[in-house]
Amino acid sequence: MNIYDFTVKTNRGVEKNLGDYKGKVLLIVNTASKCGFTPQFKELQDLYMTYNDKGLEILGFPCNQFAGQEPGTNEEVQNFCRLNYGVTFQIFEKGDVRGETAQPLFKYLTAQKKFEGFDENHPIAKPLMEALQKNFPEYLEGDGIKWNFTKFLIDREGNVVARFEPTTNPSDIAKDIEALL
Amino acid sequence: MVKVYTVAGCPWCEKVKKYLASKDVEFEEHDIERSKEDAEACRKLTGIEGAVPVTTIDNENYVLDFDKEQLDKLLCL
Repeated sequence: MNIYDFTVKTNRGVEKNLGDYKGKVLLIVNTASKCGFTPQFKELQDLYMTYNDKGLEILGFPCNQFAGQEPGTNEEVQNFCRLNYGVTFQIFEKGDVRGETAQPLFKYLTAQKKFEGFDENHPIAKPLMEALQKNFPEYLEGDGIKWNFTKFLIDREGNVVARFEPTTNPSDIAKDIEALL
Repeated sequence: MVKVYTVAGCPWCEKVKKYLASKDVEFEEHDIERSKEDAEACRKLTGIEGAVPVTTIDNENYVLDFDKEQLDKLLCL
């Protein structure tokens, strides 16, 4: 079993075989719902703009499993929803990323790279832990996806080389991406 | 006729619709995920791709967001 064996659907309903991305460096991310304050979208788009012509593709998989429970995001109030936040990297069909109903791709990714804890220095670490303990204590167990914006980095040969939790900003992954390009 | 551009599952769109209904404003709802024409018309109006809710009365002046004050001004409520 290899990352290139998976077939997924784009947000336009078109089947896409991940084998089409052979030779590229991939960043696979479960993205948030379309409403709310999600600054990581902007940073992901910045990474995409910087490294796409060098061989980086970002694949976003929207998921509603964490919807309506955004922790500690009062810095900015936004009263509208934006489809895909105007990003230009590939967004796939909405689907589950954790538990029994998780898409096979995410079952594979989380089996390849285990959960190794949050970066406690990140500003969302504390509110995120509190939100999980309060609302979804079962999410803290095991290696399943804990929250929106868990990021998996895949090298040009299809190996899952790293997993970054929501507490790692996309901009902080730039050096890891560069090392693979 | 007042038009409201929306998408399903957008809480702010629901708030706009409820607010307009509470003021007895008749409106047409246009889901931009269901119609390419609506998505394009909405993008033309605001210059932003896929942002909702957008309320307009003349396809020229609009309010993006759930903003009661701006809605009142737009619709002379």
